Amino acid sequence: MGPRLKLFLPLFLFALLAILLFRGLFLDPSEMPSALIDRPLPAFDLPALGDDRLLTRADLTGEVALLNVWATWCVSCRVEHPYLKQLADTGIPIYGLNYKDSDAAAQQWLADLGNPYRLNIADREGTLGVDLGVYGAPETYLLDASGVVRYRHVGVVDEGVWRTVLEPLYLELKQGESTP
Amino acid sequence: MPWLIGTALIHSLAATEKRGLFKSWTVLLAIFAFSLSLLGTFLVRSGVLTSVHAFATDPERGMFILVFLFLVVGGSLGLYAVRAPAVSSRVSFAWVSRESLLLCNNVVFLVAALTVLFGTLFPLIVDALGMGKVSVGPPYFNAVFVPLMALLVPVMGLGPVSRWKRDAVSRWRGELLIPAIVAVLCAITLPLLHAPYNLWVALAVLLSSWLLLGLAKDFWQRLRSASGAANGLRRLTPAYCGMVVAHLGFAACVIGIVATSQYSVEHDLKMNPGDTRELAGYEFRFVEVAQVRGPNFVADEARFEVTRNGEWVADMNPQKRRYLASGSVMTEAAINAGLFRDLYVAMGEPVGSDGAWAMRLHYKPLVRWMWLGAILMAVGAFTAAADKRYRRQREVARADSKVALHGA
Amino acid sequence: MTVLRHLLLSVFLLLASHAQALIETYDFSSPELEARYQQLSEELRCPKCQNQNIADSNAPIAQDLRKLLHQQLEAGASDAEILDFMVARYGEFVRYRPSFGGTTLWLWLAPVLLLIAAIGVVAAALRSRSAANRESTALSAEEQARLQRLLDKTEQDT
Repeated sequence: MGPRLKLFLPLFLFALLAILLFRGLFLDPSEMPSALIDRPLPAFDLPALGDDRLLTRADLTGEVALLNVWATWCVSCRVEHPYLKQLADTGIPIYGLNYKDSDAAAQQWLADLGNPYRLNIADREGTLGVDLGVYGAPETYLLDASGVVRYRHVGVVDEGVWRTVLEPLYLELKQGESTP
Repeated sequence: MPWLIGTALIHSLAATEKRGLFKSWTVLLAIFAFSLSLLGTFLVRSGVLTSVHAFATDPERGMFILVFLFLVVGGSLGLYAVRAPAVSSRVSFAWVSRESLLLCNNVVFLVAALTVLFGTLFPLIVDALGMGKVSVGPPYFNAVFVPLMALLVPVMGLGPVSRWKRDAVSRWRGELLIPAIVAVLCAITLPLLHAPYNLWVALAVLLSSWLLLGLAKDFWQRLRSASGAANGLRRLTPAYCGMVVAHLGFAACVIGIVATSQYSVEHDLKMNPGDTRELAGYEFRFVEVAQVRGPNFVADEARFEVTRNGEWVADMNPQKRRYLASGSVMTEAAINAGLFRDLYVAMGEPVGSDGAWAMRLHYKPLVRWMWLGAILMAVGAFTAAADKRYRRQREVARADSKVALHGA
Repeated sequence: MTVLRHLLLSVFLLLASHAQALIETYDFSSPELEARYQQLSEELRCPKCQNQNIADSNAPIAQDLRKLLHQQLEAGASDAEILDFMVARYGEFVRYRPSFGGTTLWLWLAPVLLLIAAIGVVAAALRSRSAANRESTALSAEEQARLQRLLDKTEQDT
C-alpha cells in the first residue's frame, strides 16, 4: 500500500461504518426473538383455569397451535382479544396462558368478552412464564404439532401481524404436518 | 468517546506545537474528535441502539443525521487524505523521549475510544449480520476501560520529568527512584487504614501516588531552578499549570473510583421507627415518620439521626413525595455529602402493618473525589488551551516574516 | 446520550444509585449472598425495558427476576448457573457482561488486538521515519551555527 493510499484508510473505514449505521436504521432493537425458538415448550404441571384439572405439555401438542399469554391487568390484551376470537372462529387452535392473574378475574373476563381459548393454563405465580421467557403480556407463541416453539410475537396480534407474520408460518407448519 | 480523543488531541497538540511533530496525526485526531461527537448524536437520536422512539416506523430523522454525518465526516476525511502530505513533518526524536511518552498516551486513548466505539456498535453489528441479540453494558466497559487507564499511569508519572527529543533511562531512574519507593510504601500502608486489606485499593494508591510524586518532584525542581519561589511560580506557563491540575484531577479520580467501588456499602432494610442500623461505622437511627406538606406535594418524611461512635453526624430526612397535580410518587433521597464519604438514605414502601418501612442505606467513601477529579481535569484542559502561546505563535510568525523581509 | 451514559456508567461505576427502583427488603442468609445479589442484579439486563439492569428497573418483569435471583441465590445456585438459567429463557440479551466465547469473543479480544496493532503501527512508523531522517536531516555546518545563535537568543528571551 502506497503512502498516499494509506491516507485514505480512515475514509474507507468511515464508509464501512456508514453502511453499518444505514443498515442499523432499518433494524428494530426492541424486536427480540425468543430464546426458545426451535426448542420444545418447557415442561409444566399447572391447573387449568376454571377446573382444577392438571395440564401438562401433552395437552398442547398434536397440532399446530398458538399459545397466547394474557392477563386481565394487561391493557393490550383487551385490544387483541376480539381478533383472537375471530381467529378461533376460523378454526385456529389457540391456547391461553393466564399469566400472574387471579382466577376469578380471568373467568369473569372470559365470561364477559368471550373465550377464544381451547384451554387456559392458570399460571398464577408466573413460573411457566419465566420458563418461556415471557417479559410482558401479551405474547403469542407459535407451536408446531410436536410442541416445539417456532416463533414468538411480542405485543398485540391484529390482522396485520397475523396476515404478514404469523399466518405464513402457520400455513407452512401445517403443510409440513400433513405431508410428513 | 469524543472526550477520550479530545484528551489524546491535547497531548498530541503539545508535541505539534512545541516540536512541530505529528502534524497530520494531530489533524486526524481533531477530525476524529469532532466526528465522534456527531456520531454520538446519530446513535442517540436515530434510535439504532435503543428503541425509545420506535424508529422502524420513522427512519427519516435518522437518515437526515446520517447523511449530514456522511457529508461532514466523509468530507473532512477526504480532504485529509488529499491534503495531509502538505503538513507532514520531518523532525526526529529518540525512543526514550517525551515525544514517545506522548505517543503512548495517544495510543492508549485511541485504543480506549475505539474499544468503546466497538463495544457500543457491537450489538448493532451482530444484529445486522443476523447473529442474534447481545447486550454490551457497563460491566464490559469497566472491564476494558480500567486496565487501559491503569496502563497509562506509569507513563503519566514519567511525562513531566522527561525531556523533549532525547532522554536517558538512567536519568529517569535518578529522578524518580525516590518517588517510586515512596509510592510503593504508600501503596502498602494506606490501604491498612481500612480493613480488610484490599489489593485494588493498593494498586490505585500505587498508581496515583506515583503520578502525584512525579508531578511534585518536577514542580519542585522548576521552582528551585528559578531564583526565588515567587519568581519560579511566575515562570510557569498556563499550559504547564493546566497539565499539573489535570493530572492531579486524574489521580483524584483514580482514587475516588476505586475506593467507591471497593468500599461502598449498600443495604436495603426493613426498619421500624426506633430501630438503629449500623453501616460502615455509622449508626442510622430511624426516629419517626412524619407527614410533611410542600408547595405542591404531600410527603411521608422519615427522620433519621446518624451518629458515629456516639457523636452526632447528621440528621437525614428522606421523603416519599406525592405530587398533587400529577399524582406521581417520587422518592427524594437524603444525601449527606462530605469530602471523605457520602451517606444516602432513601425511603421505600411501608412494609406490613406495624409501621415498618423499606429503607435503602448507602455509604460511599471518596465519591466526591471522582467529581472533584473530573472538574480538575476540565479546568486543567481549559487552562492549557488558554495558554497565550497559541496566540503568540501567530505574532511570532508575523515577526518572522518581517525579519525575512528586512533581510531580503 | 446513551453513549455518554454508557461511558459515564462505566467510569463512575456504582454512582447511579437506583433512585427510581422499588426498594425491596430481601433477607439474605449471609452478606456474601447479598453482595452477589447486588452484583448480579446490576449485570442482568431487564428484557422489557431495554436499557436498564434489573436492579434499576421498576418493570414487573424486573421485580420478578429480582425475586427469582434472590430465591436461586438462597437455594445455593452458583453465579454461572443463574446466568445460564436466565440466558436459556431470555437469550444472550440479558447479559450486560457478554460471555467469553463465540461471537462475543471478538468483543473481548478487540481491545487487546487494537492495542497490539496500534503499538505495531506506531513502532513501524517511527522506524521508517528515523531511517528517512538519518539520510535527509543532518544540518550543514552553516545551519548548525545559525541554530546555535537562535537558541542562544531564545535562551535570553525567556
